[in-house]
Amino acid sequence: MGKKKCVAMLLAGGKGSRLNSLTKDLAKPAVPFGGKYRIIDFTLSNCANSGIDTVGVLTQYQPLLLNSYIGIGSAWDLDRKDGGVTVLPPYAETSEVKWYTGTASAIYQNLNYLKQYQPEYVLILSGDHIYKMNYESMLEYHVEKRADATISLIEVPWAEASRFGIMNTNEDLRITEFEEKPAEPKNNLASMGIYIFSWNILKEYLEMDARNTKSSHDFGKDIIPTLLEENKKLYAYPFKGYWKDVGTVKSLWEANMDLLNDECDLDLFDHDWRIYSVNPNQPPQYISPEAVVKESLINEGCTIEGEIDKSVLFQGVIVGKGSIIKESVIMPDAVIGENVIIEKAIVPDDAVIPDGTVIRSFDDEIILVTQEMLNGVHPAF
Amino acid sequence: MKRKLLGVIDATTYHDDLEELLTHRSLAALPFAGRYRIIDFVLSNMVNSGIRSVAIFPKMTYRSLMDHLGSGKNWDLNRKRDGLFFFPTPVVDSDLNKIGSFENFAANLDFFYRSSQEYSIITNCYTVFNMNFKPLLDWHIHSGCDITEIHHEDGTPMEMYLVKTSLLIKLIETRNETGYTCMRDVVLDPDQHHSICRYEYTGYAVMINSIQNYFSTSLNLLNSDVWKQLFIKEQPILTKVKDEPPTRYLKGSEVQNAMIANGCLINGTVENSIISRGVKIGKGAVIKNCIIMQKCVIEDNCYLDSVILDKDVKVEAGTILTGTARDPLVVRKGTKQGALMNS
Repeated sequence: MGKKKCVAMLLAGGKGSRLNSLTKDLAKPAVPFGGKYRIIDFTLSNCANSGIDTVGVLTQYQPLLLNSYIGIGSAWDLDRKDGGVTVLPPYAETSEVKWYTGTASAIYQNLNYLKQYQPEYVLILSGDHIYKMNYESMLEYHVEKRADATISLIEVPWAEASRFGIMNTNEDLRITEFEEKPAEPKNNLASMGIYIFSWNILKEYLEMDARNTKSSHDFGKDIIPTLLEENKKLYAYPFKGYWKDVGTVKSLWEANMDLLNDECDLDLFDHDWRIYSVNPNQPPQYISPEAVVKESLINEGCTIEGEIDKSVLFQGVIVGKGSIIKESVIMPDAVIGENVIIEKAIVPDDAVIPDGTVIRSFDDEIILVTQEMLNGVHPAF
Repeated sequence: MKRKLLGVIDATTYHDDLEELLTHRSLAALPFAGRYRIIDFVLSNMVNSGIRSVAIFPKMTYRSLMDHLGSGKNWDLNRKRDGLFFFPTPVVDSDLNKIGSFENFAANLDFFYRSSQEYSIITNCYTVFNMNFKPLLDWHIHSGCDITEIHHEDGTPMEMYLVKTSLLIKLIETRNETGYTCMRDVVLDPDQHHSICRYEYTGYAVMINSIQNYFSTSLNLLNSDVWKQLFIKEQPILTKVKDEPPTRYLKGSEVQNAMIANGCLINGTVENSIISRGVKIGKGAVIKNCIIMQKCVIEDNCYLDSVILDKDVKVEAGTILTGTARDPLVVRKGTKQGALMNS
């Protein structure tokens, strides 16, 4: 196996429990986003576009769909002779089965995977976020700073800073202090959960952490604070641009709506930084003579006979005559009957919405349509 | 089926009536229905019918065809054994429009010797249809015929033939003695000793052979009866994937009765038209009864009626371009159309 300068480890085992029924059968990174993608496409495409050709994807929660979706990585051009994408599930050893109990333990248990590439640097990523980022630039920064670890940070609104892990730095951007969800933040630079470690440091501290029975084996809670205590060189890498954690139904809906906004920094049409995904290979969308389509994002394979306003439609969606879809996200292959009204809702894949159904929110809540609702059990309508 | 039927696509055809669209590409690579090339239909039909070995015989200007088909991966034909084969023909001056020219096949006779498939289907590359060849093969075997020719229900021969591979080899080998130059010669010879049968195909099928027929067949896709016969979930038409984002409709767009591929940015009005991947349509622009191919840019306030824009055409702001249903205006690949140069 060839030596690699930088290997990426992508944590994709998250449950995303605040996405409710959307993550009942699949891990959060596999949740559909933006009319044709799954959340993990952004991180995998960033790797491909940044020239990182060796990516370990760590799965744990509901991995079936994610595993088959990633396949051998060809959708992201990561089917390589040497390296490429490798799905790394938890495994059993002679003495016990070792579940990934924290982000650090997940990487620790795959040190053997990393060792075979003898990397100089390891990039730790999470498959939960929507953003475009050049990891190569971050790596150059890490090398230039001769850092032991570099953490990517984004400016968040001061009012929200206490929800994040906040990094305090000196003028040279060296991290002096890390505070997890501080009540009174001194800074508004939040960790994006993206780390670059020099391999020797990572190996040493992961092994040390694994022996510590009191540790929760988490990068943010355990590894980073320990490195700071021991005065290791940790640098902040400030990121500018669109970055969103789509951990809730509302934030998932918002991120989809952001794509309809001209001011939004997330450009899906940039040919120099394409977001790759497994293409469904469906015919072009058909917009009927009765249809009205306004300010929307619509994928191939859709048949539209109703009115679509400020909405995102995934592949294969059918919208019947007289139906009105407003400010909503309709996931793959959902069939919307005739004279249906859907407003501010997320309709999951393969849902069948009967003729005349009205799904509408009376407050600002975003409705996540479920089968129970359609069966009439739910009081929402 | 896997080891039974060999697919042979004759992609050497050139139609003078399509000249304006064929200067940079072979007929097989003619863009169609927003995201496909014409050859995708017959090739997908073969794959959907369980054929695992397909030989394509292209001729001249086959760069775009090779680029489109690549390793055959999008059709699941990048296999260790069998898969997709290309045999660019070295024959320069043969009659261009004979489907299944034995002279072309002869140059690659080794391929036929090596193929283990008992039967071969020889087709043209420019028919728009979605047909399962399995019933045809069963019918052929059951009928005991030597050669089966597919006819459309309206009586037109579809230039597709089913034959035992061993007989095909014999026909190629003996072409000089028999004087047969192609499958059609064999089928039309009243004196020959082979049994010839007709298989009637009743589904939708159109052979693209002129600009007029390309234009009307394209716009006919907007008719849902036609659409439903071509795009069947269980028998998908496969093509090269492009990783374009979904199409975005911006403020002020008005779209009715249109087929639109991915990666488009639509600001203006689109009616009765086919819009291919990655097309940009500016504010106030009106596109009616048009076929717009990949990556065209139509700037603000243009008016286009009955126009075929070949790939990468740029239409500058305020330009008016019109043709008629019988005689659509064809704008050549990669050109720029300005408001002032237009007559």
